[in-house]
Amino acid sequence: MPHASLPCNIPPRPAYLAFMLRIDSVSKRFKSGNFGVRDLSLNVSGGVLGLLGPNGAGKTTLMQMIATVTKPTTGRLFFRDIDIVANPDALRPRLGYLPQDFGVYDNLTAVEFLTYFASLKGVRGKSKVQEMLETVNLHHVANRAVGGFSGGMKQRLGIAQALINDPDLVIVDEPTAGLDPEERVRFRNVLSDLGMGRLVILSTHIVSDVESIATEIAILRGGALIAFASPEQLMREAEGSVWEVVLPSDKFDEVRRTMHVSGAVRKTDGVHARIVSPTQPASHATHAEPSLEDAFLFVMSYQTDATNRAVA
Amino acid sequence: MSERLHRLAAIVRADFFVRFRRPSTVVVFLLLSACAYLWVPAPSTGRALIVIAGSRAIYNSAAIGMATAMLGTIFVGLFGFYVVSNAIRRDVQSRCGYVIASTTMRGSEYVAGKFLGNVVFLTVFMSGFMLTSMIMVIVRGEAPLQPLVFAWQYLLLVPPSIVFVSALAITFESMPLLRGKFGDVLYFFLWAVCLGLVGSLAEKGNVPPAARWFDFSGFAFAFETITRIAGTTSMSIGASGFDRGKPPILFNGLQLANEWILPRIGATLMPMLLLFVARAFFHRFDPARIRAVAQKSQWKFLGWLNALAKPIARLLTAIFPASNAVAADARTAIADLPLIAPAMIGFAIASLASNDVMPIAFAAVAIAIADIASREKRAGTLAFVYAAPRLRERFVLWKFLSAVLVATIFLALPLIRFILTRPSMAIAIVVGIIFVCAAATALGVISANPKTFIVAFLTFWYLVVNSKGATPALDFAGFYGIATPMVIASYAAAALAFLVLAHAYHVSELRRRW
Repeated sequence: MPHASLPCNIPPRPAYLAFMLRIDSVSKRFKSGNFGVRDLSLNVSGGVLGLLGPNGAGKTTLMQMIATVTKPTTGRLFFRDIDIVANPDALRPRLGYLPQDFGVYDNLTAVEFLTYFASLKGVRGKSKVQEMLETVNLHHVANRAVGGFSGGMKQRLGIAQALINDPDLVIVDEPTAGLDPEERVRFRNVLSDLGMGRLVILSTHIVSDVESIATEIAILRGGALIAFASPEQLMREAEGSVWEVVLPSDKFDEVRRTMHVSGAVRKTDGVHARIVSPTQPASHATHAEPSLEDAFLFVMSYQTDATNRAVA
Repeated sequence: MSERLHRLAAIVRADFFVRFRRPSTVVVFLLLSACAYLWVPAPSTGRALIVIAGSRAIYNSAAIGMATAMLGTIFVGLFGFYVVSNAIRRDVQSRCGYVIASTTMRGSEYVAGKFLGNVVFLTVFMSGFMLTSMIMVIVRGEAPLQPLVFAWQYLLLVPPSIVFVSALAITFESMPLLRGKFGDVLYFFLWAVCLGLVGSLAEKGNVPPAARWFDFSGFAFAFETITRIAGTTSMSIGASGFDRGKPPILFNGLQLANEWILPRIGATLMPMLLLFVARAFFHRFDPARIRAVAQKSQWKFLGWLNALAKPIARLLTAIFPASNAVAADARTAIADLPLIAPAMIGFAIASLASNDVMPIAFAAVAIAIADIASREKRAGTLAFVYAAPRLRERFVLWKFLSAVLVATIFLALPLIRFILTRPSMAIAIVVGIIFVCAAATALGVISANPKTFIVAFLTFWYLVVNSKGATPALDFAGFYGIATPMVIASYAAAALAFLVLAHAYHVSELRRRW
């Protein structure tokens, strides 16, 4: 299970459980002077780690650093206690990476495409390629040009290339973007199965993508880590701050401007709204059970201090 | 096979299949084969493939082999570069490069793999061309086909140009300043200058020993060898007229003289040194480096000039009505590259002083309008445009008129001057503008990139400028004052054909994808 880096109120970790990935005060500053990631620390062992945050939060930059595609400006990253900034090849054979908006070579067939990446990763033999195509349910179109594949099929091909070297660390960046609901559910299930016995890092800005599969969630904002906990812990943190209220339509617009509304349904008696607020938003508002979406909104809205703060 | 060789082979194989299965490869191959057919005319037409001091060379394997090999090197040198110069960009755009960067592959392996991919593709392409050219010996030959003699001519001429172009393409792609449109245009002029230098050296009949090592096109080698064999520098290769009164001569092909052995090997191997430059600049798909490089190249060079030109561009585009789709598109073209605006003013003033500036102005127009027809497709905004009233159905016409508007503003002042002083020449210029804009629209719509038109037009422009007004058929815009009404009508017809072709392609694309 993943663990927060410096949580003062978490008991010491047993020595026999080594962290698979340690991120130690990592920052990435671009030539423009902007920070992609700022002084971020995180230790993770296994399971599915969901990286949540709005666009521009630094999720992709963090993943690119972990994937050894780019180096941090400061700080260090360790994979099984080996410094992968200084020695990236220690991780690369054990890494599977699916970048955001992954494209394909249109004129290659699925077999040729996978064989290409298998060769680059030092995997030999056609049987592994065939096995991966079956895993992602593309074996029936193995000899078709991938240019004609749907978005979901291309994403599945992408995950197949990421898994072809049987990696210990799998990094997938916004894998469900552009997929239809059925494909999204299927993709989620694939990722959930992957979490057994390895570490999967999954970034998204859609909370429902990680709700059911993440064993731990890290929330980023402006390049900094503002929360790191299990989904249950995050939801517990938001307890008492989620409200349900029925408002007349004209009042709802005003509430939406001044408060954090996590959901609203228009009905005949008015707008049924869910509001995230540490204080009671209206006299007739009642407490509601927080969802992960509410918890995310709560952290994003009210967690202000918090570089590397662990919700525990 | 070692791990590294395995990876290199994978890159070469993938690159080869990606390129070879493109429909455009088949089209280019067929066009090149058609050129070979025209390059070797039947002697009964009064023209011949090789003419030395007025005598035509008999059509045997050596003669046809050498001449088609030279055509091949022209193709490799000019078009080959543009065909293979997207190897790294493809990996950046598809983001496969990020996956590659997360493997143990070294940057040097990747650069070497892409270089070899280019070499293999061009070699296979040229081998195919050689085989189809052998057919010309059967069709037009006056001696039996000798495959080894034929292939030997290719072996002597083509390899250095394949290696040179393959290495240079990777180098250009790796270097921030040279990887875009600027690099594409620069390469064309580099190629033209190199060819001019070789031509001037060859005219003297004796190439300086040091220059032989840089004879990547093989032209200097070919011309010097023929001069030595024939004892004259009066020769032409390609479809040229000959003296029917003189008996044909037997040409036994190029032979590798001792003094050329090392230079030919050197010209083949030396371009590989460029790979060290490519490796030094290669970003290994580090997003920070790609981003920094984009910002740096944009701001330090063109970006700086563009920023200076922006106020002039704004002033110029202010005259366009905001509600008109054609004007809006033309405004976008100018706003995209504000440098167009001061260039327009500069050429307008210069053209008042002299007609000589007109060919250069047309080249600038071509570069300015090259992007217009393919902009939406490359930016992924085609759906937005198709949602606008009538633009879906009239896309080709819209793009054509937008290009015409930009070109007309570019050439407005000289055009007005000719209308007032020499109306016949003004008609030729108008037809020239329409022809260039129609070609830009058609090639942009069909190939979905500006490069095809830039290369095709600059090649045509190179022929026009080199003819120096000696060939009326090449005076497409009448700036040499020798375009006959027939020539003007032909270019107008060609423009119409371009537009019809583009529209037919557009309609078929709409049916297929939209």
